[in-house]
Amino acid sequence: MQEAAADNVQGRARFRHLADRKGFLGMLFLLPAVVYIVILVGVPFFLAIAFSLSDVTVGDTSLDFVGLDNFRSIIKTSQFQRALINSFLFVIVAQVLIIVLATTLAQVLSQDFRGKWLARFLIILPWAAPISLGTIGWLWLLDSKFSPIDWVLQTVGLLGPGTLLGPGNHMNFLGREGLAMASVIMVQVWRMLPLSAVILLAGLSSIPQDILDQAAVDGAGFWRTLFRIKLPLILPIMSIVLLFGMIFTFGDMVVVYLLTRGGPIYYTQVLPTWAFFKGIEGGALAEGAAIALFLFPVLLAVAILVLRASRRMEVT
Amino acid sequence: MATIETRGLKKYFGEVRAVDGVDLSSKEGEFLVLLGPSGCGKTTLLRMIAGLEQPTAGEVLIGGQVVNELPPRARQIAMVFQSYALYPHMSLFDNIAFPLKAQGGMTKQARKEKVEWAASILGIEKLLGRKPRQISGGERQRVALARALVREPTLFLLDEPLSNLDAKLRASARDELKRLQRRIGITTIYVTHDQVEAMGMGDRIAVMYQGKVRQIGTPQEIYHESGDVFVATFLGSPGINLMERDDCLVGFRPEHFLPKEVVEVQDNLTTFSFRVTRVEHLGADRLAYGVVSGAAGDIEIVAKLPSTVTVPIAAGQSYDFVVQKQHLRFFDKTTGVRTEPKHF
Repeated sequence: MQEAAADNVQGRARFRHLADRKGFLGMLFLLPAVVYIVILVGVPFFLAIAFSLSDVTVGDTSLDFVGLDNFRSIIKTSQFQRALINSFLFVIVAQVLIIVLATTLAQVLSQDFRGKWLARFLIILPWAAPISLGTIGWLWLLDSKFSPIDWVLQTVGLLGPGTLLGPGNHMNFLGREGLAMASVIMVQVWRMLPLSAVILLAGLSSIPQDILDQAAVDGAGFWRTLFRIKLPLILPIMSIVLLFGMIFTFGDMVVVYLLTRGGPIYYTQVLPTWAFFKGIEGGALAEGAAIALFLFPVLLAVAILVLRASRRMEVT
Repeated sequence: MATIETRGLKKYFGEVRAVDGVDLSSKEGEFLVLLGPSGCGKTTLLRMIAGLEQPTAGEVLIGGQVVNELPPRARQIAMVFQSYALYPHMSLFDNIAFPLKAQGGMTKQARKEKVEWAASILGIEKLLGRKPRQISGGERQRVALARALVREPTLFLLDEPLSNLDAKLRASARDELKRLQRRIGITTIYVTHDQVEAMGMGDRIAVMYQGKVRQIGTPQEIYHESGDVFVATFLGSPGINLMERDDCLVGFRPEHFLPKEVVEVQDNLTTFSFRVTRVEHLGADRLAYGVVSGAAGDIEIVAKLPSTVTVPIAAGQSYDFVVQKQHLRFFDKTTGVRTEPKHF
């Protein structure tokens, strides 16, 4: 009886000190994240791999192993080749523009001026508002008949018969091969810019004022300070912005899906939209999975390279 | 080389008067120290001279020219910050070469020679390939000085350049810096809150308090002939002893407060009965803490006795201590300004 009571006390003491054990607590706190990742990221990922190596369709859900047949067959299609090229075009052009514009914007926002908070608020808006809402706004702005941009161009005399952009009265932004791609890229830039700018702004404000003062006293003007001091110092942060932007844009389909649905014809199709149309709307699950997974090894390699490089670039 | 002058220089940050009307002028090749407690405006004054802050009012003149409108890079100055502000992503060579590149108009070879010249003056030739994070604090300070030196500026501005060094290194760096300045003869403005640095290095010292220069003079002048109570109490360790007498404050330095038997002159002495409460043996000196009774009650007094004075002093005892009249200083009780000697 007494022994049992003693055991009980000891047991309770052990339980009470459980909260002091870092190993146990660490596992406890990590558990929800691990469960979340396994269920919502891990399972779909491995399922996608399994799908891509099988002959599964919406109509026949049995998984029969077919090796790399799906990859072989999709590579041959001209739609896939076009989507692959478009994906790279989309990502590279958008990222170059985002890095240049975000750096400029961060540079402006790091200065002191009247109404700075308002400018910051307006600039973060495209990121804070739902992307579908923003894209629908752009859909109207770029409309083939009612585009306000067309109207502005006509009013200033750039569009219409006998003008620089004429002879038609409409740009038809989303209906022409090159313009449609340019529009999609521009909206993607508009969307990604705020976050990139804010991250770079944080990077810029982390540069000690002494360093900038020293550069001023040493005789550096604006450009020298920017290219020789500021940019090298925020390079690690910039590479992270670039990495996340690239991976995000490679895997993103919202802008293309809402603006053009990959059209006209399939001129703006990128891999994620093509995978969606083929796999979900077309019912060819196996081929859709193969398309979606096609870039995974490339992205993984890029991610590892950039992360390693940014660690080496860390200066302080 | 040039002189520096400020005329009625003011800098207000909202309600705060960081610098409140400073008139200062340096001599050619002078080592001028701005000394004062934290927040007295000395760094703000230096930053206005450098062009990093725009004055609220007043003028800055370098070599007789008003430079208020000139950006820092057009002022031909070099500055060393407290943090040294080395560019962390550049090698030491590139750090030192940076002002030359910014200045332009120099071949790569000429630049290399210049950097090596500056590095050799400070004895850091062997480190030039390294990055700032790979060297010690003392070495960083030398690199910062070499970078300041390399362009052969007309004016050197130093903002507490020794405060990040440990005590031993600071003493040798002080000596080195002073010799360097003598050798190259550049007019130097040196900001510090450390009176030992100021007294040891300055040709003249400007003591600042609450945005104003309270006194400017040689180290001896400001120590022995302090212009007001603030300057008198700020300088010296331990600080000056002060007693109230009628409408004035009477001050004397702890080293002038000595046992009667060791003072050889017999005339013009003021004698106090000094009740010792505690004695500190510091090696070179003995500090005796105690009280002197006066009209306004007990006043705490410190005596600093060099180790050559061997008279036994013990806590709890009273002794006759004297001050020679020539060492007494009188200050106005309300304004704190130095006044004429009075009968005491």
